[in-house]
Amino acid sequence: MRRLHPFTLLAVAAALPAAAWIAPPRTGGMATVAAALVLIVLLDGRQVFTVARAAAFTAAPLWLFLFVLHGTTGLVETGLRLTTVVASSFWLVAVLPPPRLVEAMIARGWPVSAAFLFSATLSAVPALRVRAGHLVDAQRARGLRTRGGPLIRLRALRALAVPLVLSALHEVDERTLALETRGLGPGIKRTPLAPPPDSAMQRAVRWGILVACVAALAWRIA
Amino acid sequence: MSVLALDRVTFRYPASTVRALVNCSLEVDAGEIVAVIGATGAGASTLLLVAADLAPRVVGGELTGQVRCDGRAALLLPTPWTQVSGMASTVWDEVAFGPANLGWPRERIATSVERALKRVDSGALRDRDPATLSGGELQCVILAGVLAMDPAVLLLDEPTAELDPVGAERVWQVLRDLAHEGAGVVVATSDLDALPGCADRVVWLSQGRVHRCGLAAELLASPDLWEPDAPGSTAVAGVWHRAALPAPAPLTVRDVVARCR
Repeated sequence: MRRLHPFTLLAVAAALPAAAWIAPPRTGGMATVAAALVLIVLLDGRQVFTVARAAAFTAAPLWLFLFVLHGTTGLVETGLRLTTVVASSFWLVAVLPPPRLVEAMIARGWPVSAAFLFSATLSAVPALRVRAGHLVDAQRARGLRTRGGPLIRLRALRALAVPLVLSALHEVDERTLALETRGLGPGIKRTPLAPPPDSAMQRAVRWGILVACVAALAWRIA
Repeated sequence: MSVLALDRVTFRYPASTVRALVNCSLEVDAGEIVAVIGATGAGASTLLLVAADLAPRVVGGELTGQVRCDGRAALLLPTPWTQVSGMASTVWDEVAFGPANLGWPRERIATSVERALKRVDSGALRDRDPATLSGGELQCVILAGVLAMDPAVLLLDEPTAELDPVGAERVWQVLRDLAHEGAGVVVATSDLDALPGCADRVVWLSQGRVHRCGLAAELLASPDLWEPDAPGSTAVAGVWHRAALPAPAPLTVRDVVARCR
């Protein structure tokens, strides 16, 4: 699956939520959730559990709010759709490294700044997680309690969030300078280092997905 | 023939009333290594930003005076983790980031990346994820990324800050090699012990002004460097100064041995 062109992976990941919303709520939602789960199961052994757990943890609060606000019907109808969005997003992140997507975008003539914005956003999450870990260690070393009841955890969260946000903002300036000096500026023509291979078959599949989504939408509106 | 020239440059950061640089003039020849020293806040980093055409173009602020740079200037900042591109999953791709942005053909990029990695002795890291590197390893990789762009003028801000002594010596050797090949090098550093063997000239900045400028061997031996708010000199010169031995102070152990003989 990782060998597929990034645009094909994107098309699949976008088509599932689109189908979930276009198709009738219950049957459509169940079908798209099932399809997303199949995609997750097809990942490498270790990733299956990690991705499934992350998707479940992300979707669970949404299920709770839907149940509280709309009852069982809302939970089933909207919950299935939202679960499709969450599951397909996590699948995409697991299967598509940002640099590969950037290479595909640049090879297709997209502006480098747009590709960089996309890649940097995706890369920022793990980087922030690592820094948050360092900050927690540093705060613990200085006596902050991070384990215990909700109040203690809330206090620890505040002690973590402020330096995390401030340091990230501070870094923006230096990162801008570093990127400028390494040639990333407006209007550049970047050389794609390893453009992912594409094929007529994959292009046909992408067009097929698009046509199917438009046709399904037209059918639902009619 | 100078590759970089600053002529009576004054610079003030946005939203600041204090001038970070005041009437600074400096010329750097091809093949020359110029070290910029000074106490914290003296303006060394700002001087590099101005020379790299990043201040005021990117950081904002107000500049008067003239800056001329013949050829491409590349800047290495002191914090390697803020210089990672975020667009590379391997060290090789990270080093190739700059050359790719210049639109070079892939063959030229490959040659340049291999040479740069070899220079900083980081070839073994080529397939590693940059996010998994130590601070020192990352510093070398970022330096390789800058070198791979084949700059005519290399500007370095504390390039050895994250490195162990062996790594630091390697970086100084790389700078000597680059200068030997014709690049102009300006390095802001607090690693003063490395300067006698590396720098041709030293510029001493104080409160944004060029306080003194001269040959490294002469300026670093000056007793003025041990006055309050001065940056100091090499460890050997410091011992010599504290022992109140006659000036000029020797800069290295080898100098001391030579003088004793």
